[in-house]
Amino acid sequence: MYLCLIALAFFSGFPLYWSLVVASHDNSVLGQTPPPFGLGSNFFINIGRAFDTVPFAKALLNSFIVSTSITVSVVLFSTLAGFAFAKLKFRGRNALLLMIVATMMVPTQLGIIPLYMLMAKTAMIGTLYAVIVPSMVSAFGVFFMAQFLQEAVPNELLEAARADGCNTIRMFWHVVLPAARPAAAVLGMLTFMTAWNDFFWPLVVLTPEEPTVQVALSTLASGYVQDFSLSLTGTIIATVPLLVLFGLLGKHIIGGIMQGAVKG
Amino acid sequence: MRLINDGGIRRRRIVAVAGSLLAATLVMTTAACGSDSDTASNEKVKLTVATFGEFGYKALYTEYMAAHPNIEIVERITKTEDHQKNLAAHLATNSGAADIEAIEEGWVGQFTSQPGKFYDWMEYGGAELKSAWPAWKWQQASSPDGKVIGLGTDVGGMAMCYRKDLFAKAGLPTDRAEVSKLWPTWDEFIATGVKFEAAKPGAKFMDGPAVMYRSILGQQPVGIYDGDKVVVDSAPGVKTAWDLTIKAMNAGLSAKIAAWTPDWNTGMAKGTFATLACPSWMMAYIQTQAKDTAGKWDIADVPGGGGNWGGSFLTLPKQGKHVKEASELAKWLVAPEQQAKVFRAVGNFPSTVSLYEDSVIKDFKNPFFSDAPVGAIFSKSVKTMVPQYMGPKSGDVNTAVINGLTRVEQGKQTPDEAWTQVLKDVKALL
Amino acid sequence: MKNFLYRMDLKGSPYLYIAPFFLVFAAFGLFPLVYTGWVSLHDWELISDDHTWVGFANYTKLFGDTYFWNALWNTLSIWVMSTIPQLLMALVLAHVLNQRLRAPTFWRMTALLPNITSVAAVALIFAQIFGRDYGLVNYLLGVFGLGHIDWQSGTASSQIAISAMIIWRWTGNNALIYLAAMQAVPRDLYAAASLDGASSFQQLTKITIPAIRPTILFTVIISTIGGMQVLAEPLLFGGASPTGGSDRQFQTLSLYLYEVGFSRFDFGYASTAAWAMFGIIVIAALINYLITSRLRRS
Repeated sequence: MYLCLIALAFFSGFPLYWSLVVASHDNSVLGQTPPPFGLGSNFFINIGRAFDTVPFAKALLNSFIVSTSITVSVVLFSTLAGFAFAKLKFRGRNALLLMIVATMMVPTQLGIIPLYMLMAKTAMIGTLYAVIVPSMVSAFGVFFMAQFLQEAVPNELLEAARADGCNTIRMFWHVVLPAARPAAAVLGMLTFMTAWNDFFWPLVVLTPEEPTVQVALSTLASGYVQDFSLSLTGTIIATVPLLVLFGLLGKHIIGGIMQGAVKG
Repeated sequence: MRLINDGGIRRRRIVAVAGSLLAATLVMTTAACGSDSDTASNEKVKLTVATFGEFGYKALYTEYMAAHPNIEIVERITKTEDHQKNLAAHLATNSGAADIEAIEEGWVGQFTSQPGKFYDWMEYGGAELKSAWPAWKWQQASSPDGKVIGLGTDVGGMAMCYRKDLFAKAGLPTDRAEVSKLWPTWDEFIATGVKFEAAKPGAKFMDGPAVMYRSILGQQPVGIYDGDKVVVDSAPGVKTAWDLTIKAMNAGLSAKIAAWTPDWNTGMAKGTFATLACPSWMMAYIQTQAKDTAGKWDIADVPGGGGNWGGSFLTLPKQGKHVKEASELAKWLVAPEQQAKVFRAVGNFPSTVSLYEDSVIKDFKNPFFSDAPVGAIFSKSVKTMVPQYMGPKSGDVNTAVINGLTRVEQGKQTPDEAWTQVLKDVKALL
Repeated sequence: MKNFLYRMDLKGSPYLYIAPFFLVFAAFGLFPLVYTGWVSLHDWELISDDHTWVGFANYTKLFGDTYFWNALWNTLSIWVMSTIPQLLMALVLAHVLNQRLRAPTFWRMTALLPNITSVAAVALIFAQIFGRDYGLVNYLLGVFGLGHIDWQSGTASSQIAISAMIIWRWTGNNALIYLAAMQAVPRDLYAAASLDGASSFQQLTKITIPAIRPTILFTVIISTIGGMQVLAEPLLFGGASPTGGSDRQFQTLSLYLYEVGFSRFDFGYASTAAWAMFGIIVIAALINYLITSRLRRS
C-alpha cells in the first residue's frame, strides 16, 4: 500500500519538482537531453529578478484577500443552500436544483464580454471586488453540499431536533454544520485553490497595478523569448504559499474530517 | 532626421538621472504641502501605457516624467497573447483600455480593420513622421481607407541562421559571404539543401515548413490581402510561398519539427537542423535555448532579399481622455533616440530607417553567432521588404496555410488535397 | 401564532437559504447567458460597433459546420478516455487514503499537488514528456524497442496525451471528494465486515461504494460538465494554436469556441457555438442523470 502511495507521490510531485529544477537553472536546460535532475544555483537570483519585475508581495496579499473572501462566502452559502436542498421539503425543489446544475454547464469564456460590461457599469473594474463578487457563490458548491448532506445527516436526527422545538436555522447550526465539516473542509480547500489559480477572468478585469499572483505571472511570462526559468520561478512563488497554508491548516482540516465522521 | 551619437546619449542619460532626482524631490515637497493652488494650474495628467513582453521602457518613463513634471506614467505589462485579447475586450466594451496600447504585428490587422476605435495618427502629427519608417511598416498599421492607428516601435528583420559545423561536414562553404551567395533565391536555397542532404551529414537542412513559408510570403508584392480583399485563391503570392515550401519538403529537407515545441528547442541545441530563418529576436531565443552551441552558428542573408517577422506599434485608443499628452509621449517613445536606447538595453531592433546608417546598428555584431554583423544584415532585409496590407484575417489565413503544410508533412494529405482544403478553410474564415 | 411561525419556517425558510445563490447567479451568470443568446442572433464582430440582426442564420451555419461536429466528436472521445479511468483511480486512491496511515495529512496533500501546480508549468512539462524526438515516453518506448510515436500528429495519440494530462490533474481532486464522503460512512460497518473476513476490495465494493452513491453521481455529472469544457490542455498541448493540430485532430468544443471568439473575433458565431454547446451539455447531463438514477433504482 505504501508502495502505491510512494508512486502517487512521485507522479504528483514530479512536475512541481521539475519546475524547481528549471527555476534554479536557466532556459537552456529545456534543450538538454537527458535533462539535469539536480537543482542549479540560479534559484535565488531568479527569485530576486521575479520580485524586481512585478509587485509580488502585493500580488500575494491580493490573492490571499480574494481567495479567503471567496472561500468563506462559498462555503457558507453552499452549506446553507445544500442543507435546504438535501433536507427541507419545498415547492420546486427538484427543478431549482436541476437549474443550479444547469448553470454549471454554461461555457464560461464567452460570458467574459457581458460580465465585463456589467463591471464597467458598476465601476468595479480594476478593483478586487470585480474578482470576488461574481465568485461569491458556486453551483458546484451547492450541488456538492446537497449530495453530501443527503447521506451525512440522518433524517432521524433532524426529526428529533424538530421534536425538541428547533427551528430550521437552529437545526442548521447545531446538527447540520457539525456534520458538514468534512465536506466543508474539502470544498473550502478546492475553492481556495481554484480562486488562487484562476487567471482567465482576473487577467481581463484587473490591471498589473493591482494584480493577483496569476496576473503577476502573466507579466513575468513575457515577450518574444519567454524566459521559462523566470516564469517557473514565478509559479513556484505562487504555489508555495498554497502548500504552506494547506500544510499548516492541513491538520485542522483533516481533524475536521475525522470529527465529522465520529459525529455522523 | 538628426543622427545621434554615443556622446549625446550619455549626456542625455546624466541629465535624465539628475532630472529624475529633481522630480523626486519635487514630488516629496508637493506631497508634504498637500494640494495647493500651484498644482491646480498645472494639473497632473496620469497616462497609462499598456505593453507586453520586453519593451525596455521603464527607464524612458522615468526620463520623460522628469522632463514633464505634470505627467505621471503608469505602466501595465502583460503576456503577449493576453495583452491583445484584453485589448479586444476593452475595445469591444468601450472601457478599460490604457491611454497608449501596444499592438504586436501578428494582431495588427484585426485592429486596423476597426480604425474607428483609435485616434488617427494622421491627425496627431503622423504625416510629418511617416518617412522615418520603412514603407511596409507604415502600411501594416494603416487601414485600407488610409487611417493610421499605430506608430512602429521595432521590427524583426529577417536573416538565415546556419550551423557552420554541419555545413562543413556536408562540404559546403562556411563563410557567411559565400553562404549568402549560395542562395540569392529560394530555389537556390532548396538546391543547396539537396546538396547538403546528399552528403548525409546526420542532420536535416531546415526545421519545418512554418518559418520558410512566412519568410517567402513576406517577400511577395501582394500577399493575403489586396486592399481589403482576401486574394489567396486569385493572386499568386500565397501559392508561390506554398509551392516553394512544398518543394523543399518533397526534397526531404525538413526535420518536420513544429516551431516553439520542446523538440524544436532541443533540436537547436542538438543540431537536428542546419538552418533556421531567423528574425533579430530569434538570436536571443537560440542563445538561451542552446547556450552550448556558441560559435557554431553564423548568420547569412535570407534568400529572396528582404523579410520581416515581428515588431510592434503604439496606438491611442479612442477611450483615452488625454489624447494630446498621450500622443506626445508615444511620439517621443518611438523617436530614433529612444529606439536606439531600447536597442542597447534590451535588443529590440529599431524600426526607424535613419538608425540603420548609424553606428549603433551598423557596427553591431553578435559574438554568439561568430561575430556576424547582424545590424547590417537585418537592416538590409528590412529596407528591401515590400509593403503588404495586413487584414483582419491575415493571422487566421496563415494558420490555415501552415496547418495545410503540416498535413502534407505528416503524410495525411497530398499537396493538392491539402491546398484544396486550405482554400476551403480560407473561404470559411471570410 | 406559534403554529404560523412554525409553518413559515418550514415552508418559507428554504427559499431564504437558497436565495443568495440565485441572487448572485442572476446578476453574474444569467445576464451573460441571456446576452450571449442575444449576440448569437447577430452578425457581431467583436470590436466593431455595428451589429446586424441575422436571426437564426448563425445556427443554420453551425449545423453544417464540419469543424464544429469534429470538435464535438473529439470532446466526447477525450471525455470518455479521461473520465472513466480518472474516477476509477480516484475511488481506489480514496479508499487507500481512507485506511489508517502514518502521516495521513502528508499523503492527502500529495494527492492535491497536481491541482495546485500551475497549468502553465504542467503544459510545459507534458509537452516535453510527449515530445516526438526527445520526449520521455518515446525514450522509454525506444528502450523497449517499440519504436516511437509522433504524439501530436495522430488523432488517437494526441487525444491519449491530452487525456493523460487531464487524468493527472484531476484524479487527486476527485479522490479527496470521495474521501470526504467516505469519512461519513460509519466505521462500525467496516469493523463488522472485517470480522466477517471481507477483504479490503470487498469492503470498497460492498460497503463504501453503495454508501457514497450520491457523491459518485455528483462526480460523474461534474466531470461530464468539466469534460465538455476542456480548454487549457489541448490549447497548450498544441503550442497555443487554437486549431488543435494541423487536422484539428484534438480541437475540443471549448477550443473551437475560443478560436472563433478570440482569434477570429467573430463574437456572434462564437456565441452561437456557445449556446449550442450549452444545449449539448444539458442533453448529455440529462442522459447521464437518467442512466445513473436508473442504475441506482435497480
